[in-house]
Amino acid sequence: MPEEAQSIKRPQRWDVPFWNESAEFEIAPMTEEEVDRLLQIPLFRQMDPTRFPKNTSLRDILLNDGRVRKFRKGDIIVRQGDYGNSAFIVLSGTARVVLDKLSDRVTGRQEPVRKSAFSAFAQWWQNPKLPEVRHLGVKSPEREAGHTDIIARTDPAVFVQDMNVIIKDKRTVDLPAGELFGEIAALSRTARTTTVIAGAESEMLEIRWQGLREIRLHAPEFKDYVDRLYRDHSLKNHLRETPMFSHLNDETLARVAAVTEFLTFGKFEWYATFTKIRETTAPDRIQKEPVVAQEGHYPNGVYLIRSGFARLSETFNNGERTVSYLGRGQIFGFEEVALNWMKKSDLPFQRTLRAVGYVDVLFVPTPVIEQHVLPGMPESELPKPQPVSIDKRSQRRSHDKIPPEMMEFIVERRFINGTATMIIDMDRCTRCDDCVRACAATHNNNPRFLRHGPIEDHFMIANACMHCQDPVCMIGCPTGAIHRDSTHGRVVINDLTCIGCATCANSCPYDNIQMVTARSTDGRPYYDQATNQPIQKAAKCDLCSTQITGPACANACPHDALVRMDMRNVDKLADWLKQR
Amino acid sequence: MTLTSRRHFAWVLFAIAAIVAWVVDYALRIELRRAEIVTGLTLFIVVVFLTLFNARKKLPFLPLLRASTWMQIHIYVGLLSCVLFGLHTGWRVPTGTFETTLAILFYLVAISGIVGLGISRWLPARLTVYGENVIFERIPALRATLRREVEEMVLESVGKAQSSAIADFYDLRLRNFFQGTRYMWYHVIGYRQPLLDLLSEVRGLERYLNAEEQAILAQIVERIHARDDLDFQKARQGVLKGWLFIHIPLTYSMLIAAMVHGVLAWRLS
Repeated sequence: MPEEAQSIKRPQRWDVPFWNESAEFEIAPMTEEEVDRLLQIPLFRQMDPTRFPKNTSLRDILLNDGRVRKFRKGDIIVRQGDYGNSAFIVLSGTARVVLDKLSDRVTGRQEPVRKSAFSAFAQWWQNPKLPEVRHLGVKSPEREAGHTDIIARTDPAVFVQDMNVIIKDKRTVDLPAGELFGEIAALSRTARTTTVIAGAESEMLEIRWQGLREIRLHAPEFKDYVDRLYRDHSLKNHLRETPMFSHLNDETLARVAAVTEFLTFGKFEWYATFTKIRETTAPDRIQKEPVVAQEGHYPNGVYLIRSGFARLSETFNNGERTVSYLGRGQIFGFEEVALNWMKKSDLPFQRTLRAVGYVDVLFVPTPVIEQHVLPGMPESELPKPQPVSIDKRSQRRSHDKIPPEMMEFIVERRFINGTATMIIDMDRCTRCDDCVRACAATHNNNPRFLRHGPIEDHFMIANACMHCQDPVCMIGCPTGAIHRDSTHGRVVINDLTCIGCATCANSCPYDNIQMVTARSTDGRPYYDQATNQPIQKAAKCDLCSTQITGPACANACPHDALVRMDMRNVDKLADWLKQR
Repeated sequence: MTLTSRRHFAWVLFAIAAIVAWVVDYALRIELRRAEIVTGLTLFIVVVFLTLFNARKKLPFLPLLRASTWMQIHIYVGLLSCVLFGLHTGWRVPTGTFETTLAILFYLVAISGIVGLGISRWLPARLTVYGENVIFERIPALRATLRREVEEMVLESVGKAQSSAIADFYDLRLRNFFQGTRYMWYHVIGYRQPLLDLLSEVRGLERYLNAEEQAILAQIVERIHARDDLDFQKARQGVLKGWLFIHIPLTYSMLIAAMVHGVLAWRLS
């Protein structure tokens, strides 16, 4: 029978409303009157409140997932490169979007706060002897901050002195009252693409992405609005950042943007069926992946990966062999289109492009490429006139890059999603568990990964959070407890706002999040007052974000067996594998 | 830096350090100065430095270089300590009882270190190719599960076939196999005969069983293989972990003896 002292109220969604989430800056509480005022702005006024479920009404979303923030002229509202978990609506004043990059010095971009050398050393004797100790009854965010990540969610509201001088040579766009911004980074779990500065004394409604997602789900007009904003504001920037369009002037780029199509392949919630698909045979798995472009077909255009992943495969005997994978910003089909234009030939697609789970692509048709892009393109950017034959290319790929079996393994199991995947060379690993001990020593004596996982050849992908490029664990989190830290984009859990619902643990396709029972300092579990069930918290690797050493696991391996690998960097991965 | 170039670089540094130590020792000796004090003191400092590797492992939260860097330093400085020891003793076995004991301790530490390094380089690859990679601490639980499953099968065979053939065989031959921790060293050296003998006995039994019993026996054979895999992992992972329990206590014993040796040498000189 649980004792009285251990009994607490189970945390719920909206226990910590957005306005009260951060200890970093003062924000006025959201009131019913404030929500009444917000519901009068055109964006919300046009929505039908009856479309929202009763337990997540539009009013409740604004009340709990929204907060009204005031900015002085020159305050930075969002910073390019930061990972955003919220979007903003201009209530009054203006938001000035700076399209060009500002230096880190100007934007006040800083590394997240880490432990001092002394507090790092103090872990030696301060770490609790018992597992999963928390201070749930104590209201002290600062105390918890060292073990959660709340300190990493720093306020980007840095004041830019002499704003007019600094942005004089920069391209800017002013957003008036009623405009939405920051929604792409918030909804796609990616970094902010621009810096936004308050152009005048301004008031903004900031909405947590969970709330934004609910609104998008229940208000179709809002979804249309967001898509339109992307085409109007971000598409041209996206194209401009792509090397093949970099030589185009604004006018030509606008023409290309006007005919660019948004295509989506696969399911956004791909993780729901991933476990089942994994159990099928390799040919079945590949056949189930939606085809974006088919080998041997006429190259009807160029595909730019906007988000998600795609498998690049080619026919090999009676099957398909994976030769590489593409992620955000990478291009498919340009070589074929360009060679056909240069040589007046009709070379088909040399490989097949398939969605690995889910992929968002921008499609630019061949006639547009031929008319607007290729004629002015520098010769160095054009492909070599002699196309490499399929056979030759296959041999080169398998010998130069990653071995084919390993390539199949990392693509099919979708480890390509990881930006800090833990790979262990089992031929060097002596099973000493120094990595596990180091992890425990830096996390209150609780190891945050399991030295266990699938093995290909002699390489193990251990059960450690990979800090995915597309962190699907964040999708269902009702409180935003699992989020990206703003500076590095690491996926971290705020222990204070985690309600223990296990949605993230169930969503993680790699089983890298554990649910643990929270205990008090004397080792007794906390219990929910209402149900007498133990209070659970989600726990996982945070890449030692508060430590001064970086990932302790990799640093602690005496045999150079363990590495945290960014799978987007195929060359680095190939080099590491080749050395073994 | 690749692993190969790092190794080459370390060997060059080691060779330079060893030559410098030899030249200094030689120079001191031809000048009739007490070279053994210099080499002895240097050796002691080097050994103390080598023990710091273990201390670094206890402090993973401090930025004290990567453990793999420490490991490389430990290996090559350890080899250098052997050179210093040779120079200090004049490449002879000491004569006094205490000095001989100290020398033996040094030999044991050095040999256990070199053997440990060899084990660390040789065994992991052999673990990967045989059996499932299980976590060492989970092996007892997995063994217990296998044993429970086999005992249930044995009971099932008695009920189904109204015969005690499998139960008798279990009692006679399999109980110890599933309960004990035998043939551990055979697993370390890769000697498979005990398993082959047991499987041969199983085949001998099989011909006298009916179809139901044979099906149960087939499942038991699967568990025998699984248990053998676990024993293999237990034995080899045990060696990988266990050699440090020889190397480290010997090191500290040697350090204490070396301190006494130093004090005695100082007082008697």
